[in-house]
Formats: sequence, structure tokens, C-alpha cells
Amino acid sequence: MVNRRVEKGVQRGKSFELEVDGEKLVAYEGETVAAVLVAAGRRTFRWTEKKKHPRGMYCGIGLCHDCMMVINGVPNTRACQTLATPGCRVKTQRGLQER
Amino acid sequence: MEMVILGAGPGGIAAAVEAARAGVSVTLLDENPKPGGQIFRQFHDGFQVTSPGMLGPDYGRGQKLLSQFDTVRERVELLDNAVVWALTEGNELAFYRGDASHSVRYKKMIIAAGAYDRPVPFPGWTLPGVFTAGGAQSLVKTQRILPGENFLLAGTGPLQLALANQIADAGGHVVAIAEAGRIDNWFGLIKGALGQWQLIGDAVHYLYGVRKAGIPLWSRHIIVEARGHGQVEEAVVAEVDRNWRPKPGTYRTLKVDTLCVGYGFVPSSELTRLAECEHRYEPLLGGWIPVRNDHMETTVADVYAVGDCTGIAGSLVAIEEGRVAGLAAARRLGHLTTKEARERMAPSRERLAGLQRLRVILDRTSVPRPGLYELAREDTLVCRCEEITFGEVKAALADGAMDMNEVKRMTRMGMGNCQGRMCGPAMQEIIAAQKRLSPDSVGYLNQRPPARPIPLGVLAGHRELATTV
Repeated sequence: MVNRRVEKGVQRGKSFELEVDGEKLVAYEGETVAAVLVAAGRRTFRWTEKKKHPRGMYCGIGLCHDCMMVINGVPNTRACQTLATPGCRVKTQRGLQER
Repeated sequence: MEMVILGAGPGGIAAAVEAARAGVSVTLLDENPKPGGQIFRQFHDGFQVTSPGMLGPDYGRGQKLLSQFDTVRERVELLDNAVVWALTEGNELAFYRGDASHSVRYKKMIIAAGAYDRPVPFPGWTLPGVFTAGGAQSLVKTQRILPGENFLLAGTGPLQLALANQIADAGGHVVAIAEAGRIDNWFGLIKGALGQWQLIGDAVHYLYGVRKAGIPLWSRHIIVEARGHGQVEEAVVAEVDRNWRPKPGTYRTLKVDTLCVGYGFVPSSELTRLAECEHRYEPLLGGWIPVRNDHMETTVADVYAVGDCTGIAGSLVAIEEGRVAGLAAARRLGHLTTKEARERMAPSRERLAGLQRLRVILDRTSVPRPGLYELAREDTLVCRCEEITFGEVKAALADGAMDMNEVKRMTRMGMGNCQGRMCGPAMQEIIAAQKRLSPDSVGYLNQRPPARPIPLGVLAGHRELATTV
């Protein structure tokens, strides 16, 4: 299992699990959903509406909206701006969905 | 609200500190969970920093400003996770927090919206594994996660050196840094920065780190294409001439899985545009910026603007401008006499004069040259959200579109979720080049509320003019 976390310089808080497309991933308190996915080596967050292209995290500061996923049932949620919480359910988003 | 400040980065915090010290009642709105902005971004709760030294000089500077903020904290109402979506006549603004949207009235407003990485379209730039330099930095610095194994850094300016240091220090392999400008210009930068020891210190520190880590630093090279099946697998770089146009025969392909692209920053002028402030196009400062007087007041009454959203100059300038604006507005609100305000502004004015010189030299090295905007092919997406290709934009121009907003109407470019932030800056240059016009004459994408995507349910529950929040 890929783990891209860097231990140097910080101490992480409590760990817990969240679910991404049915797969359990380890997360730590203070990590965003995007960070948890990237740490596990998952790069495709959604597939685009028109061309069905894969997209992942790009700007990382909440502007580009490329990291939109279905988080706890809510589509178009920016993974880079959403803190991971225990038991959180995340799904790869297909196209644009009305919320 | 007596004074509302939009953005809790260096400029907004400095403004809040000065205004609150003068006795103004301040409300500070920020989109993030914690104050600090991008440069002084703080860790989320859960992380414990064990060695602050390795987090770089900005981290320390941020802590210093935030501790000043702590001293006035009880006089400032900080509204985190607050997204401003409309600014209207009569000193009204609308914002939402969570599921609630409000309108409020203010006497003075200071906009400190910051900046973001300049997006540049090139073939493959939408592939997973391509990050903006700032996006990659946010992961490495405050989430302590390496977004890949083998990195290529491409772009211009000292941020690239800082990021290379951070990645290498965290154990990542930086295959190379492609710097589009001429690196020997950096020595001119250092010479011109005499007196600004803090900044010279940073540059030397990072350059030394790059040398020590054995990271190849290629002057006058740009990324021309990212390739891969479903994600980045290789990157093509080329040597460029003085206009940043690739030289034939210099292309080379690198095996990398992660690309961090940083061609400087674009001022976040959405809020000043929404407020209908007058703007001018200033390529050396990053693009469209609000016109201001030396009290940081815009052309709209009661609206001030400071920091990178008024032209890229970095956190040190933002802090001093924030102080000046905070004091100027406090004087206008009757909390300070003209003499008091002038005396308190004096140190900031002096520091700004010194920093100005550095800003000019830095800009000349890193300002994008025309070749940067010639990388997109017919099928390259120029609008990431609406998936509009360069070919579609060219067709609209051939059909008679004359400016940015006409292309927007004909193609949907700029109508997606990022609201033109990702496509606008480069498309302005690209459309101008196609039309053989100057970039300012093709205009900018009109900003209309909502300035950010807002869930319909929240909009439906919007409360007009709540006097308290």
C-alpha cells in the first residue's frame, strides 16, 4: 500500500478510516480528503462531463474545482477544501451533478 | 460593521492589527478554516509541529504576524470559512458560511484577496499528476504529503527553488528544475535588492539547498507537454529563446510522475472587479489590478485594497500596505488624527519604498514572454471546467468574436465552476495575440454575482441585511 506521508517535522494526530469507492483508506486528523487520496497514491478524483477525461487535484487552494468528488452524498464537493472525518464516504465523481 | 476586511492573509491581518489597535471594531472574513492565507498557511488541528526551523523562513514570519494578531484578537471578529459572493452599492456585501447566507453593511472595506498560481495551458496540463506549484506546496508544507516520487518543476521565479528544497527535504526526487527566465538575471536581482537582507537571505538559502541536493537547474527551459495514460508518465521540456519560444532540436523527454508548474502569480481581482473598482492592465504586476491612491483606496468610495490582489509583490509588501490601509481607514472613521495616522504609517512607508525597487527587478526576470502562450494545440483544453479547446476558441474568433466576453458567450469558455480564474489570464494573452491586439484591449471576463459557486439551497435561504451575524 502506497503511503506518501512525510514524518519529518510534524507529529500526526489520531488516525481513523474513511471509505473511497468502497475501499478503506487510513486518514489522520487534520488531513483533507484530497491529501488522504494523494497519500494513498490515488490521483483520479473525477471524470469530466464531456470528454470523460480523468482529473485530480490541481490548484490545491479551492479555486479550480478539478478535485470535485461526491463526499457524504454531496456531489461537486472540493476534496482539497474538505477535512477528512471518521467514517466519511467518498466517491469518484462522474460528470457534473446537480446538488 | 464598522470595518470589514476580506482575506486573512498577510495584508488582511496587518490591516486588522493596526485598525483594531486604533480602536476600530473590525470584522475579518476568510474562506479558510484558519487565518494566515496561502503563504502563512497554518496546520489544521491534529498536526503538531516538532521542528519549525525546517518549515522555512515564511513559517516563522507568519507566526510573528499571527502573534501580533493574537494581541488584538478580542477586538476583531474573525469569521472563518466565509465566502463572499456579492458586493453591491450602498456598502453592502453578501457572504455565506456553511448553509447560511447573509447580507451586511459596512462603513469601510479593505480587500486583501491575495493571488493564485498563473495557469498556463499546454498539451497534457489537465492530466492527474500536474499540479500548480502552490498546490504541490500546500500538500508538502502543511499536509506533509509528497504528491509523487519523481518530480519536474517548471516555471519561473524563486518559488520554484523553495518548492524544490521542500520536496527534496521531504525525501522526493526532483529530476530537474526548468526555469524559463535567465538564471544569471538572479544575480542582478540580488544586487538590486541590497538592503533587503531578509529576501536575499531566502534566495541564497534556497539556491544553496538546490546545489547541495544536486538538483539540476536548467536556465531558459520550459515544459512543452505532459504525457501519459490517465496520469503523468513523462514530460517534454525544451530550451527557449529570449521570447520563451522553444528552439528546434532542444526537446527532451523526462520520465517523471509529477509535474509542478509555477509561472508566477495572478492577482485575485474578482472582488475589486465585483465592487466595480477601476482597473488597469499591468503585465509586470501580474495582470488586471485596481487603481489606488497612496492610502490604498480604490476608485470606489470606502473600498481599499492591499497586497497581491493589487499587483504581485509578496507578503512583505502586503503586510506594510495592510498597515497603511488599516490606519488610513481608522483615520477616516475618526479613530486617529491625521498626525497620528501619518506617524504610525511612517515606518511602513519607508519599508515599502525599499521593497518597491526589488519588486521591479523581480518582475522583469519572471514576467511571462509570448512563447509561453503558444504551447496549446488545436485539441488542447484552454478552459478546464467547460472543456473548451483552443480550436473552438479560434473558431469563435474566426466567426467574429472580438474580445474575452464575446468568446465567452460563443463558446462557454470561463462559464464553469472556477469562473474564469483558470482560463482568464492566459486566454487574454492568447486571444490578443490571435487578434493582433494589445492584451488590455480584449478586456476581462465580466464578474457577476455569485463570485463563487453557491449551493442553490443556501441562496434560497439568503437573509437580506442582517445587522448582526
